[in-house]
Amino acid sequence: MLSRIALLVTVLVGAGGIAAGSPPQTPPVAAEPQAFREFTERVRAYLNLRKKLPKERTTKRTEEIADRRLALAQAIRELRTGAKQGDIFTASASEEFLRVIRNTLQKNAVRRTIRQGEPVANLHLTVNGAYPEHLPLTTVPPTLLIRLPQLPERIAYRIVGHDFVLEDTEARLVIDFIPGALP
Amino acid sequence: MHSLRRLIFTLGVLLGGQTLSLPAQELALPLKSGSVRFAAIGDMGTGEPAQYEVAQRMLQFHQMFPFTFVIMLGDNIYGAKSPDQLQKKFDIPYKSLLDGGVQFYAALGNHDDTNERFYKLLNMNGERYYSFKKGNVHFFALDSTYLDPQQFAWLEKELAAAGTDWKICYFHHPLYSSGAFHGSSTELRTVLEPLFLKYGVQVVFAGHEHVYERIKPQKGIYYFTEGASGELRAGNLRKTDLTAAGYDKDRSFLTVEVSGDDLYFQAISRTGVTVDSGVIHRPAAVQVSAP
Repeated sequence: MLSRIALLVTVLVGAGGIAAGSPPQTPPVAAEPQAFREFTERVRAYLNLRKKLPKERTTKRTEEIADRRLALAQAIRELRTGAKQGDIFTASASEEFLRVIRNTLQKNAVRRTIRQGEPVANLHLTVNGAYPEHLPLTTVPPTLLIRLPQLPERIAYRIVGHDFVLEDTEARLVIDFIPGALP
Repeated sequence: MHSLRRLIFTLGVLLGGQTLSLPAQELALPLKSGSVRFAAIGDMGTGEPAQYEVAQRMLQFHQMFPFTFVIMLGDNIYGAKSPDQLQKKFDIPYKSLLDGGVQFYAALGNHDDTNERFYKLLNMNGERYYSFKKGNVHFFALDSTYLDPQQFAWLEKELAAAGTDWKICYFHHPLYSSGAFHGSSTELRTVLEPLFLKYGVQVVFAGHEHVYERIKPQKGIYYFTEGASGELRAGNLRKTDLTAAGYDKDRSFLTVEVSGDDLYFQAISRTGVTVDSGVIHRPAAVQVSAP
């Protein structure tokens, strides 16, 4: 996977794109900082917790998808009773995320990606709260994603207004967030 | 053959008695034997009358041009995602096509819930991004709202394995667009275009801008935006040097036929007017293998 990431970085630089002309300020394939390792371990712990719960599967019954999503979200809430902002984005992890986000967002093209993604504003987030289903998902710039710890398929980074969010995509649940991470 | 089909279609409309005031479409597609036939719709899932009218027009056109599947370019379900809303915004408008065996292959847009991938009728098989093959055409449906390194690596592997087939990618955000509301997704382009060029992707479909636009070939790749199959931003197309053809006066959908090395296309408005048509001939395919 590392070689694939290296290829993507090469593509980004080689195509005269965002990173062209100057070396990236945050080397994407540099050794993972300790703060990111801590974050990755906490994500892994979340996944272990979730492993016991039923998985989604394809169906022709729309009610089944909705029912399973709600049941999954409720089960996660119960397993994570007392979960609070900062449990996964720890203080040191948040600091590292902020550094990478702000460096990456210095590029116009990256900020433009977010603007074009119909950014959501003024949404009050809570850990274990639902990501409102009627709201769109803001595009997370690929140039940013490549510089952050990779996530397993059921978890995604989201941008919600100025906040940077970790979402359980099947349960549509906010796992954690960094308030005010984006300018 | 065309005349007969047209006659049957016209009779069908007359007997059906539903749309006598609407003009019958002219078929600009050749209906070649053994061809791959599909439609493309984008930004359709409003559940509003306009979506239903486009769907009805698709159904009528299907009698003349029996496409076997539809690619969905994202924003398949706007707003609430409850089961009744999914029915209102997908099952009901396309019921006749679904009942007729037409398959739908969805890509996710920014208004979609990623859990749509679990709905069997959208043929995503539980995946945010996936590929499938029809005849000599390989399709790659991407999630452009969240193009993570895993997806990029998957795409490269899939493209490399597609050999000399036609390679068609589709996703929500257009890499090139003259739409005034969003415009071109330049960062995504920087990431995806080199891969498209390396592995010989010939055609790309996107939505997001609520207009129809065909872009002049960019580095040999043909780009279409069809984001007006339910939503519409009337007058929002600012035709630029990129624009080969465009339509922003009404809703629309696109139909495509691939036969051998030729890809024929016809864009049709809600009222049945052909707003664009033509043919793309691909040069001799060159196989590119993975690094």
